[in-house]
Amino acid sequence: MTGSVWELFFLVFFGLAAIWFGIVVFRTHSMVRSALALLFSQTAIGAMFMVMQAEFLGVLQIMMMATEMSVMALFMVMFMMDPGGMGAMEMSHQKRLSLRAGGVGLLAALAVSWLADWGPAAASIPDASRQVELLGIELLGRSMFIFESAGLTILTSMIAATMVAIAPRKPGGGT
Amino acid sequence: MIVELSVTLSIGAGLFAVGLYGALSQTNLVMILMGVELILAAALVNLVAFWRYLHPDAMSGQMFVLIVMTVMAVEMAVGFGIAIARFRSRGSVEMEEARELKG
Repeated sequence: MTGSVWELFFLVFFGLAAIWFGIVVFRTHSMVRSALALLFSQTAIGAMFMVMQAEFLGVLQIMMMATEMSVMALFMVMFMMDPGGMGAMEMSHQKRLSLRAGGVGLLAALAVSWLADWGPAAASIPDASRQVELLGIELLGRSMFIFESAGLTILTSMIAATMVAIAPRKPGGGT
Repeated sequence: MIVELSVTLSIGAGLFAVGLYGALSQTNLVMILMGVELILAAALVNLVAFWRYLHPDAMSGQMFVLIVMTVMAVEMAVGFGIAIARFRSRGSVEMEEARELKG
């Protein structure tokens, strides 16, 4: 088989895995399993990035999501009334509307992806080390303002989230 | 037609549909955040596919991916901040009980 066929095979494999684990997120009653399913889904997406030869983004995606989903699993256990799913609590509403909205979104996106004329495919792709070099030049050149703004936005949201989460002080001195 | 691009965009469409279903159907704030994460993941898949199959020499495509990853992190941070505040004041993050802002 040629490289392109293998690429297509692994794209489909990891893509279906990502979608399947995405479905498992909302099908299981256990919240920890939900968080782990989302982690596997995001990891499969990271693997798709690597298949598409975006190694840096793939590794970044896997590392970032592993951390994020670990935090999410902790929050799940803290906040849910039934984190283990032992009572099989119903935690969904307006299912029919949600299914219809998801179905319409799926059909619209599928129609665009298969019917649109995307133009010719790119002939060649820079290798991994050259990509990182080019991305560095992009980040510290033309896109520097956007890049710095993203960093500042993360800092601001961290401070804002912490301020929102801190318990308000009561006038008597206690928290 | 670029088959790999269309297949990857279809996978993105599937992730978007699952995420949209989750964001609309779940009653728990943390589960709604998971749905939004899947929608943003679909956007990531599409961006990487466009970069890879149409413009691999233009690194602004990868730049967009980094921005969407930033949005994912910010969304989680703010969402969890709100979840903690809500849990502290009401003892629950069930959104069906959050009717204070309803007109």
